[in-house]
Amino acid sequence: MFAKYIPKPGRREYITFLLLFIEIIVFGLLAPHFLSERNIVRVIQNSAEIAIVSIGMTIVMLLGGIDLSVGSIMGVIAIVAGNMIQRGINTFFVLIVSVLIGILLGLINGLLVAKFNIPDMIVTLATMNIWRAVIFMLLGGRWLTGLSSDYAMITKAKIFGIPVLLLVIFLFYAIFYYILMYRPFGRHIYAVGNNIQAANLNGINIQKIKIASYCLTGGIVAISAMLYIARMGSVEMTIGNDMAISCIAAVTIGGIGMKGSGKRGSVVGTLAGVMFIAFLRNGIVILGIPSLLENCFIGSLIILSVIFDKISIEKRRLKQ
Amino acid sequence: MLLIIEVMILSLLSPYFLNLNNLIEITQFGAILILLAMGESIVMLSGGEGIDLSVGSMLSLSGVIFGLVIQAKYSMEVAIIITIIAGGILGSINAFFIAIMKMPPLIATLGTQYVFGSLALYLTNGIPISGFPKSFEFLSLESTFGIPNQILFIVIPISIVILILMYKTKFGREVYLLGTNPIAAKYGAINEKKVRFIVYIIPGLLAALGAIISNSWLMTARADAGSGLELQAITVACLGGIAVEGGRGNLGAVIISVLIITMMNSGLQIANVNSIWQLAVLGFVLLIAVSFNHIISNILSKPQKI
Repeated sequence: MFAKYIPKPGRREYITFLLLFIEIIVFGLLAPHFLSERNIVRVIQNSAEIAIVSIGMTIVMLLGGIDLSVGSIMGVIAIVAGNMIQRGINTFFVLIVSVLIGILLGLINGLLVAKFNIPDMIVTLATMNIWRAVIFMLLGGRWLTGLSSDYAMITKAKIFGIPVLLLVIFLFYAIFYYILMYRPFGRHIYAVGNNIQAANLNGINIQKIKIASYCLTGGIVAISAMLYIARMGSVEMTIGNDMAISCIAAVTIGGIGMKGSGKRGSVVGTLAGVMFIAFLRNGIVILGIPSLLENCFIGSLIILSVIFDKISIEKRRLKQ
Repeated sequence: MLLIIEVMILSLLSPYFLNLNNLIEITQFGAILILLAMGESIVMLSGGEGIDLSVGSMLSLSGVIFGLVIQAKYSMEVAIIITIIAGGILGSINAFFIAIMKMPPLIATLGTQYVFGSLALYLTNGIPISGFPKSFEFLSLESTFGIPNQILFIVIPISIVILILMYKTKFGREVYLLGTNPIAAKYGAINEKKVRFIVYIIPGLLAALGAIISNSWLMTARADAGSGLELQAITVACLGGIAVEGGRGNLGAVIISVLIITMMNSGLQIANVNSIWQLAVLGFVLLIAVSFNHIISNILSKPQKI
C-alpha cells in the first residue's frame, strides 16, 4: 500500500543514508558509548529543532533560494512564546500565536523576495540581522528562564520505548515528504526550482509559490521554537545562532543545494543529512577531538557533498 | 545608481560632514571595510551569482597567521609577506572551488567561511595573540601629514591599483563582460576559468591586508576579528550600486558608500547605540539600497524593452 511512496533505488538520498550508517559504525567501533541508547536518544533530542527547521530550508532551497534568517526568526518567536508561557496562557493558544508570527515573519521575507525581486540571500541576510537586534531588544541581555510548561514532557516521554520527539520528527517529515512529492504545491516548488521559465509558461504563479514557501518555512520555524522551549526551559541571547548554517549543511549533504543543476532531492535526504551532522557533532565530542574544529568538519562536508553531486551529475550527462 | 551617489553627496553636504578634518579622522575606521568591500564588489561584478561570504573569516585566519608568525620571532616584514601569501592561498581555495569545480559561490564560500573561521579559532585556542612590537603601532595608530597611516600607505595605493586594474586594463573589462553576459564573454574568447580564478583571489589578498591593519589597530590577533564583516562588505557593495546579478556598478561609488556607512556607524557609536543595532540598521540600509537599485534599473531599462 505504501510501496509507491518509498523513494526509488538509485536516488541520491540512499547515498546519504549509506554515509550515515558508515559513520555510525565507525564511531560505534571507535567509542563504545556512542551506540548506547542514552547517547542516541540525546543526539535525537539535541537535533530536534534543526531537523524541523531543515524541512523549511529544504523547501526554500528546492526553490533555488536560501533562508539565512531562520535562526533569528526562531529566537524572536521563542521569546514571544516564552513570555506567554510565563503568564500561564494556554499552550495550544501559544502554539497558534507562534505559528502565526512565524508565518508573518516568513511573509516579510517572501514579499521582499518575490514582489521586490531582491535576491533571497540579501533579503534574509538583512532580516537575520534585524531580527537578531529585535531579540537583543526583547531580552536586553537577560535570559528568559523557568519556562516549565505542560508540554515539556514531549521531549522525555516514550511510547513503546520510542521517544515521542522522534515520532514527532518522523511525522513532520512524512507529511512534508507527501506534500512535496505528491501534492500540486510540492510539485510546483520543484518546477519553479528546476526551470523557472518553463514553470511560468505552464501557468504556475511563481510569486505565489515563493511567498507561500517562505511563509511555510516561518510556520515550521515557529514549531521548532516551541520544541526549543520544551527542551531547554529557557531562552538566551544566542538562540539559533548556528541554525541557518546547520540546516544548509544538512540540506546540502542530503543532496539538494546545487543552483542551476536541477533539484532532485527530497526531505528524506535532508533527514539523513540532519542525522549525519548530529552524530558527527556527537562523535567529535565523544572521541575528544577539539570542538573548535567542529565547524571546520561541517564546512568541509558541505563542500565535499556539493563536489560529489557535481561529479555524479556530470557522469550522468556523459552517459546520455 | 546615479541617484544613490546624489543622496550620498547630499549627506556629505550637511554641515557636520563638511568638516574635512573630521572626514579624514573618520576614514581610518573604514580602512578595513574599504579593502573588503572592493574585493566583494569585484566578485559580485563578475556575475554568476558571485558572492564571497568568507571575507570575514579570511581576515580572521590571515590575521591569526600573522600573529603566529610574529610569535615565532620572525621579523615584521616576513610576517607581512607570509600573511599576504596566506590570504592569496585562502582566496585561491575559494577560486579553485568556484572557477575550476564550478560550485555555486554561495555554497562554496559558506563552507569555506566555516572552515577558515574554525581554523582561526583552533590555531589560537580562542585566546587572542598579543605582544606585537611597539613599532607595529605605526601602521594604524599614527598619522603622517594629518592623514592616518593605514589610509595613506595601504588604502589609497591599493585603491588606485584596484581601480586601474578594473578600469584601465583588459582584465577589468573582461570581469565586467563576464558579469553582463557570460555567453558573449565565451564567444569573445575570454578564458572564463582564468578570469574567475583571479577574481576570487583578490578578496583573499585584500582580506590579508585588512588583517594586518586590524592587528595593528587592536595590537592583538583575534580569531573573531572578521566576524560580521562579510555582511558589512556586501551591504556596502550593494549601497554603492553594484548589481547583485553582476556586470553593473562602479568601484568609486563603493568607496564613497564605505565612507557613508563608516560615518553612520561612528554616529551611532557617539549616540551610544549598541553595536547589535548597528547590524540591524545595516540590514535595513541593505534592503532599502537593493530595492532602490532595482527600481532604478527597472525605470532605466523600460524604454529599451519597447
